[in-house]
Amino acid sequence: MSVIDILTRVDVICKRYDKYDVEKQRDQNVSGGDAFARAYAAVEADIESALEKVELASKEKSKASAVAVNAEIRRTKARLLEEVPTLQRLAVKKVKGISTEEMAARNDLVLALPDRIQAIPDGTAATKQTGGWMSSAPSASRTAIKFDSDERFDNEYFQESEQSSQFRQEYEMRKMKQDQGLDMISEGLDTLKNMAHDMNEELDRQVPLMDEIDTKVDKAAADLKNTNVRLKDTVTQLRSSRNFCIDIILLCIVLGIAAYLYNVLKK
Amino acid sequence: MSGSDPGKLISKADNLTTLSLTRWSADWESATRLYEQAANGFRVSKDYEKAKLAFEKASKGREMLSSPWDAAKSMESAAALAKELRNWTEVIDFYRKASELYMQCDRPQFASDSLAKAARAVEDALPSDAIKLYSDACVLLEDDRKEQMALDLYHAVTNIYVKLEKYTDAVAFLLKLGLAADKCNATNSQCKAYLSAVIVYLYAHDLKQAEKCYNDCSQIDAFLRSDQNRFAGKLLSAYKEGDVEEIKRVAQSRSITNLDSVIIKLARKLPTGDVAAFKTNAAIGEEEALDENDLK
Repeated sequence: MSVIDILTRVDVICKRYDKYDVEKQRDQNVSGGDAFARAYAAVEADIESALEKVELASKEKSKASAVAVNAEIRRTKARLLEEVPTLQRLAVKKVKGISTEEMAARNDLVLALPDRIQAIPDGTAATKQTGGWMSSAPSASRTAIKFDSDERFDNEYFQESEQSSQFRQEYEMRKMKQDQGLDMISEGLDTLKNMAHDMNEELDRQVPLMDEIDTKVDKAAADLKNTNVRLKDTVTQLRSSRNFCIDIILLCIVLGIAAYLYNVLKK
Repeated sequence: MSGSDPGKLISKADNLTTLSLTRWSADWESATRLYEQAANGFRVSKDYEKAKLAFEKASKGREMLSSPWDAAKSMESAAALAKELRNWTEVIDFYRKASELYMQCDRPQFASDSLAKAARAVEDALPSDAIKLYSDACVLLEDDRKEQMALDLYHAVTNIYVKLEKYTDAVAFLLKLGLAADKCNATNSQCKAYLSAVIVYLYAHDLKQAEKCYNDCSQIDAFLRSDQNRFAGKLLSAYKEGDVEEIKRVAQSRSITNLDSVIIKLARKLPTGDVAAFKTNAAIGEEEALDENDLK
């Protein structure tokens, strides 16, 4: 038996025993013909993934990636908030097979959703409470402005460490290299610009010449056409069959006369 | 026919054209044909003198047959041969005659073209005549409103003047170039012309004139908005500072390389003379201004 056959048989067997798969049934029940349930399940899944991302952000060492993850979380929150109204509409719709208690429960669930979404921490959670200092860095979300220097204000703390001076040097070098590269590009662009301008002027110069050529060639073509037509007329005239027959007959007559004279003179 | 001796053809043609008792009217047609054949034969055998004569006569024949176009063409061939013989006055005469014939055919472009060819031929030997020829050629083109063709000719005149070290005349022609370029909306050529003018003045070590020229040209919008304007400004300020290094550095930049080769050579040789003198002059000027203000 080949691999393909094995795979097909496994698929068939799985399909037949699907009805014994508890988890799958549960999902299917949820998503069977009930738009509200489906949508609600999707929103729940998104909230779960957002909370996971929050965990990730809090573990992040570099501020930049933390900021990026927070921004993503905020985007997801905005999207979810937009979906809440649709869910509310769906919750009010009457679906068969659902009891009134369940309908009420659904309404409550939907109402609870916005709060749950807002509660997802995205680095700006403290702003509402403080009502002040908006900043994109999570470190500024604390209520008071705090210096990072851990209360050390002596000179030594502010001397550049080896790391920072190395960093600065690297930055300067890279900047220099970039400048050099940009200089070269600008030189090339200058040359290109000049060439393009010159080409433009040259083409402008040639436009009226081309127009002249155009008119002259048109005139020549018209003359040629004229001449051809006349030539055709002349040739047809010459070669018309009537003239041709007359020519042949006259030729025969002349030859006859010549032969007759020849015979007469020979004698 | 091409096998027969060109000399014989010439004499035959001469016979046809000279009037005598047996001949009451000159047969220019066949004569011209014979002249042309003879001329070609001479040219092939590298006998330039005789070929030139033959072309002259052929051209005269064509004139008699009232076809100035062919006459002009033969005249040009004669002139080209005269150039080979380095007979400059004849070159000029022939080309002038050819251009007159072209004007008769109402083709000013060709006329100016032949004058330009003449100028190019004699520019080493007789530069002043060359300048005259170029100017006439430019006038012809401008009358026909074809200024764009004239731009090259103006460049050539400027080069001759620079070679003769007549810088003011060179600048005058550069400004004429700018004017012609303006008429046909060739802004790039125009700006380059003005920049070249400033450079020529600086090369002649005349900062005042250069500044005046720069101010005049700045009146023109197209120049004001261009790269060449910025560059000229930088150059002039470097001169006013009296900073030789700065001048050299500015002169190496890309804007210069886009200009005409002669101008590039001038720019590379900047600064000529003592730039520090300009610096002190400028400083004195500022001090005087302060004094006047103080009195008030």
